Amino acid sequence: MGGKVTCTLGEVKNRADFIVYWGGNPAECHPRHFSKYTLTQKGRFVPEGRKGRTMVLVDIRETPSGRAADIFLQLRPGKDFEVLTTLRALLKNQKVDEASVAETGLTLAVLQDLVDRMKRARFGVLFFGMGISMTRGKHMNSAAILRLAAELNAFTKFVCMPMRGHGNVTGSDMVLRWTTGYPFGVSMSRGYPRFNPGEFSTVDLLVRGDNDAALILGADPGATMPQPGIDHLARIPTIVLDPKVTHTSRLARVHITTAATGISAPGTVYRMDEVPLPLRPILKSPYPTDADVIQRIRQAVAAKPAWTPAPTARIANA
Amino acid sequence: MLRITGGTVHDPANGVLGVVQDVCIADGRIVPKVEGGRSIDATGMVVFPGGVDVHTHVAGAAMNFARGITPENYRRAIRFIQTPDRRAGLGGITPTTFATGYMYAGMGWTTVNEAAVPILSARHTHEEMHDIPILDKSSLVLMANNEIVLDLLEAGEVERARQVVAWLIWAAKAYGVKAVNPGGIVAWKSGKNAGALSEPVEGYRKVTPGRIISGLAGIIDDLKLPHPLHLHCNNLGIPGNVGTTLETMKVLEGRRAHLAHLQFHAYGGDGWGTLRSEATALAEAFNARTNLTADAGAILFGDAMTVTADGPWEHVLHQLSGRKWSNVDVENETGCGIVPYTYKERSLVNAVQWAVGLELLLLIDDPWRIFLTTDHPNGGGFWRYPELIRLLRDADYRRECLKRLPPKALERMVLPDLDRQYSVSEIAIITSAGPARALGLSRKGHLGVGADADLALYEEKPAAGRMFEYPRYVIKAGEIVVEEGEIRAVTQGREFIARPAFDEQIEAYLRPLFEKVYTMSFDNYAVELERLAQPDIHPCRP
Repeated sequence: MGGKVTCTLGEVKNRADFIVYWGGNPAECHPRHFSKYTLTQKGRFVPEGRKGRTMVLVDIRETPSGRAADIFLQLRPGKDFEVLTTLRALLKNQKVDEASVAETGLTLAVLQDLVDRMKRARFGVLFFGMGISMTRGKHMNSAAILRLAAELNAFTKFVCMPMRGHGNVTGSDMVLRWTTGYPFGVSMSRGYPRFNPGEFSTVDLLVRGDNDAALILGADPGATMPQPGIDHLARIPTIVLDPKVTHTSRLARVHITTAATGISAPGTVYRMDEVPLPLRPILKSPYPTDADVIQRIRQAVAAKPAWTPAPTARIANA
Repeated sequence: MLRITGGTVHDPANGVLGVVQDVCIADGRIVPKVEGGRSIDATGMVVFPGGVDVHTHVAGAAMNFARGITPENYRRAIRFIQTPDRRAGLGGITPTTFATGYMYAGMGWTTVNEAAVPILSARHTHEEMHDIPILDKSSLVLMANNEIVLDLLEAGEVERARQVVAWLIWAAKAYGVKAVNPGGIVAWKSGKNAGALSEPVEGYRKVTPGRIISGLAGIIDDLKLPHPLHLHCNNLGIPGNVGTTLETMKVLEGRRAHLAHLQFHAYGGDGWGTLRSEATALAEAFNARTNLTADAGAILFGDAMTVTADGPWEHVLHQLSGRKWSNVDVENETGCGIVPYTYKERSLVNAVQWAVGLELLLLIDDPWRIFLTTDHPNGGGFWRYPELIRLLRDADYRRECLKRLPPKALERMVLPDLDRQYSVSEIAIITSAGPARALGLSRKGHLGVGADADLALYEEKPAAGRMFEYPRYVIKAGEIVVEEGEIRAVTQGREFIARPAFDEQIEAYLRPLFEKVYTMSFDNYAVELERLAQPDIHPCRP
């Protein structure tokens, strides 16, 4: 398993005639998604716009996104992996036990119909939200939906994309990848990058209380982390760079007010499809930018003597 | 100021083929003489102009995608530990940006050409190139599947297409144009491909892959770009594709072009079971056509990462290899596919591929027109170039290697019959002087007065193949960056970009078309010049 078959959002606008949102509520969480990229836009190969597209919503409950959907499939909580695996089996004409399908809250007939529609699509997309990636099974659910999209390419054009949010999370992921090789959960404690989600990821470090200081940029973990993690942030020296007062800044030892990126500070934001967009400030801020503050902290740290002797690694060739 | 004394200088661009002479450096350039300053005693060493990689993939959306989907590869990669002067990094088949700079420089290469940039994510490519230290860089934008350009070719509006191409190159802050599987990626967006050069591309009535190739090659010549059309031919990797490659060469008659990773385009046979080398036929046709240059795209046995804009090919490779598959279709412009791959000696197909890369390098008789590459990371990591050099320099070693291949494979190749061995000067041509000339980089690839002071000093060794394994000194822009296998200085390189002439009015034509098919604002599309740390602009005067 692994890999990801995807596209940029303009491809969805220009070509997609079959769109599935799974485990997410874009109407409330990504309110411009339908109108800018997926549903209502007229595309080069979908000149009819909304009429030329079918939208399916798969979720455990009804949400406002349901109003935009042509088909709503409600499954039981925690059954995403089972449904995705069943769809993959049906795609390959394998025998599926009706009774076990019933446990998911859906019927075999409904799933067979979905598979048929997906195979008939000219260009299909699977968007998935935190209902897939953050519920029981986590990365296994994500892998299952990514596999489903990849395998559909034996029949037609199909792609898959996670519905990422939280400001510039994709940008952070991109920069970490080119500088360290890994997208998140990177430890530099040995002087080179190491990756181990569950060991080095932020939530796990905080909940175990492994770190003895925290520098927080562009995030509000005080609002989203599990309580033991929040308690730990309050216990240790926590420094927050943020334009505004947040849950985290309230429990931090130091809050440095910075200019808001995209409003009064320039930069680059990466969209959920990894397309970079430039940010141009429209206002002046009396506060320094995040980059200014970090540069000054780095300079101050660099002026201190190193706490370990500098290693001299040889370059190995061939 | 720096003086290098007593070394055997190989500067083929200036006709210096292994002559003991001094090289003087001041202010980052080669000068006739210097007074004072440091002196390096290079007795017993050969002095080369710094290596130039004409075709590699080191930065941008596709490489970063490959990094993201293969964290497992970094577990056994070379580690670069951070020091006060040097950022940390990891090597492996898709090195991080900082490691890329250290590893290329550590091998004696000082200039690289990133060969595949979508305009839509060019801003990202430049951000990554900024983080590749030491090296000078250039980049090529993908154009042969850009639907706005194809629509203009369909309508026969070549003059306007030329304006659009020029505007797009400047928008991406690129150095030249790359064409990948012309028409094939457009077709892939409907799940199809383009094979025949004379058949219309999916969704078009008149535009054929052949028309795209001749159209773009002509536009690029007319725009006086320093580097000609950089072409990844149709049918890459497919048995029997030599026919397509030979036909492409005919289409290019009268135009300049660079054929990328030729190894992947030189196969005979009609299926995987009958695959054979057609290097002889291809080299013969290539030798007769002086309008063309090419790079080898040789493969080496071991792990590779296939990363290409050629989406349909990667789907085929995924089905063949069963390895994990990634794909990114890029709106209006191009696509991208990624499959990790391992070349195995015991595989008949891989053994033939290995031979084809070497055969082309040995059968193409003008070293000024064929360059050393592995299409990094597609045929193997760039850091394995010294292995390739050894294979070219030492026919006995080649024969040793041939013994390990399946006997059946030996019947499908001509490599066992080839005795040619590259001289030291010829290595300087295929790794530096030739690619610099093909890229139109007049201050690279030679050691004449006024050239950039980029040099690599290797110790002369009796074993013909071994001396390029690692350099004693690497000098970049006059500064010693590598000494005795260690990084001594981490410098910031320049970025070469081209500015072809275009009529500013073309923006008024492009804007409404753009807003119809793209999902970002037209004003956010072009990369601002201020985003590049050290741009070096080639003006392209007609």
